[in-house]
Amino acid sequence: MTADAAVRRGARSPTTVSAAAGAPRGASQAARRRLAALAGYAVLLVLTVWTIGPLYWMVTTSLKTNKELYGADTTLWPRHPTLANYEVLFRKTPFAIYFRNSVLIALVTTGLTVVASALAAHALVRFRFPGRRLLARVLVYTYLVPQSLLFIPLFSILVNASLSNTRTGLVLAYLGFTVPFCTWLLMGYFLSVPVELEEAGLVDGCSRVGVLFRIVMPVTLPALAVTAFFSFTLSWNEYLYASVFVSDVNAKTIPTGIPSFIIEDVFFWGPMMASTVVSALPPLAVYFVFQRWLVTGLTLGAVKG
Amino acid sequence: MSGRPRRPSRWERLSNDQRALAALFLLPALVVLASVVVYPFLSALWISFEAKQAGTPGRFVGLQNYAELMGDPVFHQIVANTAVYTGVAVAVKFTLGLLAALVLAQPRPLNAVYRTVLFVPWAIPTVIAALTWRWVYDEFSGLLNNILIALGLTKNVVAWLAEPQLAMWCVVAVAVWTGTPFYTMSFLAGLQAIPRELYEAARLDGASAFQEFRYVTLPGMHAIFVVTVMLSTVFTSTSLVIVNILTNGAPAERTDILPNFSFNLAIATGRLGIASAANVVFFPVLVLVIVALSGRLLAARAT
Repeated sequence: MTADAAVRRGARSPTTVSAAAGAPRGASQAARRRLAALAGYAVLLVLTVWTIGPLYWMVTTSLKTNKELYGADTTLWPRHPTLANYEVLFRKTPFAIYFRNSVLIALVTTGLTVVASALAAHALVRFRFPGRRLLARVLVYTYLVPQSLLFIPLFSILVNASLSNTRTGLVLAYLGFTVPFCTWLLMGYFLSVPVELEEAGLVDGCSRVGVLFRIVMPVTLPALAVTAFFSFTLSWNEYLYASVFVSDVNAKTIPTGIPSFIIEDVFFWGPMMASTVVSALPPLAVYFVFQRWLVTGLTLGAVKG
Repeated sequence: MSGRPRRPSRWERLSNDQRALAALFLLPALVVLASVVVYPFLSALWISFEAKQAGTPGRFVGLQNYAELMGDPVFHQIVANTAVYTGVAVAVKFTLGLLAALVLAQPRPLNAVYRTVLFVPWAIPTVIAALTWRWVYDEFSGLLNNILIALGLTKNVVAWLAEPQLAMWCVVAVAVWTGTPFYTMSFLAGLQAIPRELYEAARLDGASAFQEFRYVTLPGMHAIFVVTVMLSTVFTSTSLVIVNILTNGAPAERTDILPNFSFNLAIATGRLGIASAANVVFFPVLVLVIVALSGRLLAARAT
């Protein structure tokens, strides 16, 4: 509201300025636009180099021989590209186990998050009950509580529940972050679904759950894509909880598994970068697949905010 | 037949029972929140008033943990570091994100490609990004020193992460690298939401590019600026991953920030009470953020 008013106020003020600036502007405007386009390309170039630089180093390192990796002989690109680092990674390290654990944890967390947050968001926007607004607020608050505070008691809670060193324990802990955010995000979208559509479903004999899963969720797919992407990357990414709650190799995930390579062997950067390449692929794949919905999803969400 | 009272429709019956339904729908989310957020949170607050060693029962000591922290010059350094780290990272991310969003909003061939590339760090796990950067910064074998040498800009290698004057900025750079796409994406979304007509009106009035930016773009983006900066401030200041992997606070606490400091207190010394107390210091900041956020965001959501 206020922003809107400010825009209107702002849009009016150039009128007075233009009167003073006077007439000739056709040619200079074209030149100005060309200059803007050129400056745009310059900015893009710098930002692209900055963005790609580390990724270039990661990929090329993973393809280099040890001789090209270290010390005075370091080369800027692999002269003799090899997949040897990938072989070491999968044959001689527990990386495959970490990878499997990460995939399982990310998928299960994502599935549970989408269901739990869709149910909660639907209740918060469509049902009348006391404490509704307070609950919506608490959702935002919980999302802001720092992990570095929660892990201390959470560890003893998981130990008492015999869930430390298990993948189940990690999934539960991750839901504490994904559910509040995703519920909050979905609330915005669910509000935008016309109530008449949902009432029509109920009249036609759909149950409340049916309305949510057959009517509301299909029309809010971009939002669900954002929640799925968010939950997947968060679980894939998570470092603090994973390093405190899990020490057993069989339950370790990629983020805590890979850094341990450094301690084990100083000269391990080849396989290490191979592991980062492999670990970056799933979230990148999810990103490319969902990209279209992500941008619309975030656009709508952001604008609503 | 027609005299029989009409049975309440399914819709009516269900809507009469909204409280029960709401409870049922909210149950999974509430169970999760209560067990892994709310209860641990209250428990952590309690522990911050205890002398508690990992694995042993705590003893109530009142404000002793807080007093110890306040009297510790290292802790002061950590708080200052956290402020610098967060402040600079947020400012640079904001600037780069806005620049990128403005450029990506211009019509241009292959724009989708540029957008995809610039968003990639968003999809790269932070741990992976931090490890990769650590390797980029490597003294002898890193990309940075090797490029500087190849370009003839230096003969002596720079120990990026060990140099007290440089280390913090190198760590901040990584936070910027991983965090900028979030800004770009939010800002791009915000720019697309400003009505075209406003720009057309401004152009008809003869506004310059700068005036368009100043009087149309900036006011239209105000809400998004606030939300993005608030969220990002919280995430940047409370996440330890980048610092933990790149330097773990070295050299001499120059790059240590609060979450990493308290994490190490708890893990290395097992002093859970004081580690919790160190975190509780975040609260004034978080409360400010919450107050600022809740007015804006919840007004839109919870009505």
